[in-house]
Amino acid sequence: MNSVIVANVFRFFGLALLQGLVFQNVGAGWESFPYLHVIVYPIFILLLPLRTPRALIILLGFTIGFTVDIFYDSLGVHASAAVFTAFVRSVVLQFMEPRGGYNVNYSPTAARMGMGWFLRYSAILMFIHLFFYFSVEAFTFVYIVDILLKTIVSFILSMLFIIIYQVLFNPLD
Amino acid sequence: MFNLLQLFLKLSGFFVFALLEIICFSLVVKYNQRQGDVYVTSVNRLTGYLEEKATVTNRYFSLDDENYRLAKENTDLLEKLANLGINDPAKLDTMFSDSLQPKYTFIEAKVIKNSINKHHNYLVLDKGRKDGLVAHSGVVTENGVVGIVRKVSHSYAVVMSILHRQTKLSARIRHKNFFGSMVWKDSDIHSFYLEDIPKNAPVVPGDTIETSGYSAIFPSGIPLGIVEKLWIEPGSNFYTIQLRSGLDLGNIQYVYVVKNLLKEEQEELEQAVMKEDE
Repeated sequence: MNSVIVANVFRFFGLALLQGLVFQNVGAGWESFPYLHVIVYPIFILLLPLRTPRALIILLGFTIGFTVDIFYDSLGVHASAAVFTAFVRSVVLQFMEPRGGYNVNYSPTAARMGMGWFLRYSAILMFIHLFFYFSVEAFTFVYIVDILLKTIVSFILSMLFIIIYQVLFNPLD
Repeated sequence: MFNLLQLFLKLSGFFVFALLEIICFSLVVKYNQRQGDVYVTSVNRLTGYLEEKATVTNRYFSLDDENYRLAKENTDLLEKLANLGINDPAKLDTMFSDSLQPKYTFIEAKVIKNSINKHHNYLVLDKGRKDGLVAHSGVVTENGVVGIVRKVSHSYAVVMSILHRQTKLSARIRHKNFFGSMVWKDSDIHSFYLEDIPKNAPVVPGDTIETSGYSAIFPSGIPLGIVEKLWIEPGSNFYTIQLRSGLDLGNIQYVYVVKNLLKEEQEELEQAVMKEDE
């Protein structure tokens, strides 16, 4: 129980710092190709324990989004996307419920649920998150082509990192 | 109560979500230059659009009032126009002060019933005795003559339309001063006849026919129609003149009832003379 909380606290700060200090600079200087962004902090929302109350997930989503926003100097943009992703998480989980249901003591990690399941789960939520984020960043659907391009390019790179993260750490909780 | 509480618990996730998204978006538009600009522009465009729609809609709601206001204004203007010749300031010093009082006043009224497809057509107005209407007053619009008030009740008045077989209006040819009477014979609401114009009158198609002002019902100079055709029946000393009127009597909403303030005086005098002759 306590180890779960500790793991998530570490993950929170680790991912927020990684996002804010390292991945913020990826693709930042490429004026001619502004579509490349690596967004990794949603992993925190994805990996919260299954028994976490829905309201708490959303609140935690807001917290990590807000923290990243402070690094990005874009108050509210990441936070709104993170809140949305946290809200959608339980819906996606409901749709992907395996036969026999979830073990509520687990977290939805690759180690617990299997790599295939986890990839599908993270792909859906990451795509939603990125699309929402780039939409809020543009704040208009006039540039829908740009938004979709950014979403797709960033999705591939971000998913690559998430797979590496799972393989590297292979967290249970 | 318990069910309500359960519902709240079930929806708590959604409430937290909605609240936080509202906070997020207010942060976005407040602390981010570009998103803020987009927001302000969009809101301005939306409110501008809504305001425009609201104004247009509101204008429709006030259309009736607006019509009434215009009718009232027209009344004032007609009154001024009709009294123009009398209140000529150039002749002020040579006139008695009695002559300075206006001769005509106008009362605007709404047409609440109208017919045009019979031989004897009538209109009903929403004003009556209480508004100062009296029988045998003329009824006009800004485009021409409508008819003559036949009877008034407390709050209504029945007008004998010019589209009535017995209506006879004293009319003259503009600038030529030959006068006759205008009657309605056809069923065409734009077609009238002018009778009793002697055949030596210099009338040609295209001449304007207007009220003569002799009858004390209508002021002079209100247009009645344009001469369309004219001929002389064999053995007659008078022209038969067909007029074309531009007034669409089937489509009138507001009319003005002419009130001749000196009518009684004029008629009294006329009758006194007639009596002497008898």
